[in-house]
Amino acid sequence: MLDPTVLIFLSSGLFLGWSLGANDAANVFGTAVGSRMIRFTTAAIICGIFVILGAYVSGTGAAQTLGKLGAVNAIGGSFMAALAAGLSVYWMTKLGLPVSTSQAIIGSIIGWNLFSDSYTDISSLLKILSTWIICPLLSAVIAAFLFSVAKIFVRKMGIGLIRFDGYTRLALILAGAFGAYSLGANNIANVMGVFVPVAPFPDMLFGQGFSISSAQQLFLVGGLAIAVGVFTYSKRVMMTVGSELMRLTPLAAWVAVMSHSIVLFLFASERLEQLLAKMSLPTIPLVPVSSSQAVVGAVIGIGMLQGGREIQWPRVYSIVKGWVITPLVSCLLCFVGLYFLQNVFQQTVQRDSNYTLSASVIEKLQKEGIETEGLHELTGTVFQTSAEVVRAVKDKVSLSSKQGLKVVEYSLQKSLIVTAEKIADLETNGLSSAQLDALSKLAGQTYNYPWQLGDALAEISQEWIMLGGGLKDKLHDRDIKQKLAYLYRKFQRRER
Amino acid sequence: MNPLSLFFKKQYAIEEKIQRLLRYLEDMAQLYQAAYESYLDGSFEDLVQGNEELGKIEKELDDLGRQIQMSLLHESLMPDSRDDLLWFLTKLDKVPSSFKHSLADIVLEKPEIPEDFQLSLKNMLVHTHDAVKALANATDALFSDLRAVRQHVEEVGRQESMVDKIEYKLLQSVFENEKFELARKYQLKGILKQLGAVTNLAEDVADAVLILATKHST
Repeated sequence: MLDPTVLIFLSSGLFLGWSLGANDAANVFGTAVGSRMIRFTTAAIICGIFVILGAYVSGTGAAQTLGKLGAVNAIGGSFMAALAAGLSVYWMTKLGLPVSTSQAIIGSIIGWNLFSDSYTDISSLLKILSTWIICPLLSAVIAAFLFSVAKIFVRKMGIGLIRFDGYTRLALILAGAFGAYSLGANNIANVMGVFVPVAPFPDMLFGQGFSISSAQQLFLVGGLAIAVGVFTYSKRVMMTVGSELMRLTPLAAWVAVMSHSIVLFLFASERLEQLLAKMSLPTIPLVPVSSSQAVVGAVIGIGMLQGGREIQWPRVYSIVKGWVITPLVSCLLCFVGLYFLQNVFQQTVQRDSNYTLSASVIEKLQKEGIETEGLHELTGTVFQTSAEVVRAVKDKVSLSSKQGLKVVEYSLQKSLIVTAEKIADLETNGLSSAQLDALSKLAGQTYNYPWQLGDALAEISQEWIMLGGGLKDKLHDRDIKQKLAYLYRKFQRRER
Repeated sequence: MNPLSLFFKKQYAIEEKIQRLLRYLEDMAQLYQAAYESYLDGSFEDLVQGNEELGKIEKELDDLGRQIQMSLLHESLMPDSRDDLLWFLTKLDKVPSSFKHSLADIVLEKPEIPEDFQLSLKNMLVHTHDAVKALANATDALFSDLRAVRQHVEEVGRQESMVDKIEYKLLQSVFENEKFELARKYQLKGILKQLGAVTNLAEDVADAVLILATKHST
């Protein structure tokens, strides 16, 4: 039975989802609905359905990157992170500054990291920050290209006025559906990403080979919250966006929605990442990006193509200002909110964790190419936070941001026990028979560090080995990591 | 069956109505020319009959125009296209009215046309008919192939310029003729101006077609 307090804590995520639906659906259908090209009801139904689909089917990719930035490990912390993000979005909107839930939630996670003294992976943070610049730029480039091609196409085809009207309407609906799917896939990480590490729902198994993971259940609930936001509050925003901010021709409106959707899809699609990796092409980071940024970028791209005279640069400046201020406000709100939640309301906002550098951990770090000379002096010291252990290691050896993440991952103590009963529960969860065989051989074993189970499995079966060789191996390795994360959750010994 | 017709039933229905409207317009141009020529050849009865038929077609055309306007208002075209089409149809609607007024004035006034004007007037009528036909083609292209619009609009312009030249020469002849009384001079001027006004209007509407085609293809 689900603890009712869990639902209270989840409410902030649902609030954030609702506000995302209310605000960001306008980026997908605002132009079409605001200028009455499509009826609001049609737009809301399509948007609601495809947002949920996108969140459920393709939501995991971007959420993983968010998880790397900071894994909020207590539901109280997740609650405050989502609440701070939601409040900043609300507050900034009140001030008339266009905001993004993506930036707000990143600010919140940093706020939680600072409060809980958790290690912030600078490389992941930079990766996310870089997308805030790349996203609008990419959207502008795609829009300019698409608009040029579409104009040539329309001119060459010479489609009659009424038929063109019908085709444009259909194209806007299809682009909107794609946009809503991409919005759900990419932005669900903003709404529910912080709850993934503390997901309150058990995995659901439905017969042979079909299961819904706890993360997927969260994304489904988040998708529903977004859809409710679309139905209940997005009409006003859509009318504003469509009639005041972006007066575009139907063709330009379609281009803006398509470019926005393509960009969101590029930053969310694991399938595309797989395809690029298979072709040995550089992959696009799966990061939650702002749909507002994507649309603004697309409109600027179209405007620049027409000489840039119609672009209202002061408006662009105020939008950029909002992008800078939002994460800062959210970070501050989250930090202060966590303080009150922990000290006034006596809620757990971070779970106690122990990080130790045992001989086996040091050996593991050495294998990963980390300099370990001097680390033996730290053996036996118990660190309470991830930032603390990284600082201690950095005092002894030089450490890159990624290596810092490794130190956190390997030194985290979490007792695991592999039992035959628990293995029996796993049979339908996508593990191959060879992987299950290997696991069965470890029945009765206990481990102090989760990675030790992964290493033990890799020694028994090749199907548990991470290749780590390059782009092509990235997907294989990610699959193994996901399976191991599942096992770590399943075999974690309950504290008494 | 075109599979797209399932999705675009409403659009195809409006297109079909506009095609019918254009056919009526061409019929009116034909009838106008025939009735006018009959009068020039001395048959007032044929003019009256032609004028009555023209009135009937104009009524049908008005009904059809209203149907199209209602379709545009109710069957959810995009606002931009809808406003453009309503604006255009209002302009187009003036062409049949100009036929009617021109013939009605002749029926009422029964002007005495000088013998030496007849050939030029018949030429004006041919060019007027051709101008309206070119306008119908331009309008048809607006709804079927935007690439062909310019060529038809240019044809309307050519025909209008021919009509203008003939009209000017005839007006010169009217006012240089010392045998005509001033009243007759002004009556003939009115008749010529009425006839010339049809192509002027056709050119105006053709310009509107070109504006719409340019707007919707960029």
